[in-house]
Amino acid sequence: MKTFGLLRRQRALLNCAPISQDGLADRSMRSAVYRAAASADFVNQQNFDRAIAELVRRIPIPPETAEWFSEKDLAVGSKWTWKKIVRNPAVLAISIAVLVIAGVSVFQLLGRLHDFPGSTTARKLLSVAASTRPVMLDPVNTEAGTLSDLFFMKHGLEHYDVPVEFADFQAIGCRVFEDEESRRIAQIWLAEKRMQVFLFPAERDTKTGAVLHFPGWRYVHQEGWVGAVREHSGVCFMAALRGREKELEPYLSKPKE
Amino acid sequence: MPERKQNLPQLYRFCFLMLGDSRKAHEVFHTTLREAAVRAAQGELPREPLWLFRDARWRSLEASKTDLQPEPLELDEHDVTPEAALQTEQLEPTQLAIWISNAPDPQRTALALFYLDEFDYCEILDIAELKLNVLSRYLSQGRRQLQAWLDAKHPEPRQI
Repeated sequence: MKTFGLLRRQRALLNCAPISQDGLADRSMRSAVYRAAASADFVNQQNFDRAIAELVRRIPIPPETAEWFSEKDLAVGSKWTWKKIVRNPAVLAISIAVLVIAGVSVFQLLGRLHDFPGSTTARKLLSVAASTRPVMLDPVNTEAGTLSDLFFMKHGLEHYDVPVEFADFQAIGCRVFEDEESRRIAQIWLAEKRMQVFLFPAERDTKTGAVLHFPGWRYVHQEGWVGAVREHSGVCFMAALRGREKELEPYLSKPKE
Repeated sequence: MPERKQNLPQLYRFCFLMLGDSRKAHEVFHTTLREAAVRAAQGELPREPLWLFRDARWRSLEASKTDLQPEPLELDEHDVTPEAALQTEQLEPTQLAIWISNAPDPQRTALALFYLDEFDYCEILDIAELKLNVLSRYLSQGRRQLQAWLDAKHPEPRQI
């Protein structure tokens, strides 16, 4: 390029002058182009470059190559969107684990909401009820209410009284046994709906030894059995049968609290 | 990174100018993007701009290594004329691509990047790994050689 009045660097810049004007961001380039703008050689160069660039723009893009263009994220770096984050296997696994833990926690919390002093023992006794056969009990033929005297006189069990709601039912068997904590449990088999009732010591405060009272009837469930429990004078009474709460409800004098 | 700098149609055109063959250009373009996709999936995309073009450049040079190489000839050089723009109208893009792809590198890279009209000279210096005076010489020489080739191919500009 015959631009004798220009410095060597400016001549070098002019040879690299941008084809379109938006490439003039560089100050030294702007200056060089401005000084050479009127030069016929530079005008020829610019026209030539534009014509060649136009030819390059006409290079056809094959369809199989154009398929990539919709995936421009590859070129600009992978952007994290909420959808991508949610579909990420690690995030998905963690989310599922958190949901399961939360579900178990909620389930346990709901279970604990119905807990009361002695509920753990009551559930164990429901398991005992499920595995008890009539032959395991001493046969009796009397009203359940009268067995309180038997428990007191024969076994020294004080306040092991059958509530009035169940006192009139016919008992066909009874026994007294000790659980794994050496607590003495009285068990009576009633003729009514093959119901079983249990009498066992109420739970006590570990520090003071005071009985932990709770009011009214409380339900517990275990392995398809349901029990209605009430505490009175430091002794819990539980009526148990295989079935649901509504089958026990008619026998209870007061609504469940 | 500005999207303009990683314009994928321009990346394909760059491959085409470097190789002068649409099948090879597609292969290099495809390989470059497939590799980019793998790196993106692994979260290893380079932070520096223009890496796709730099990558495609080396792949193109690698792909053309096995080609028959033109004998090193002293090409004619003519001053760029006002009629050159009209002469280029008689050219097909493929003819231009074949001409550029036959140029020795790094002049080939310089011409391909420059005529994409996508990058400023600093970016071209970066991708082609050249100094300004060298890039200037390659472009100036390239214009003059291209003009001589146009003169030989189309002595008379098409009458409009």
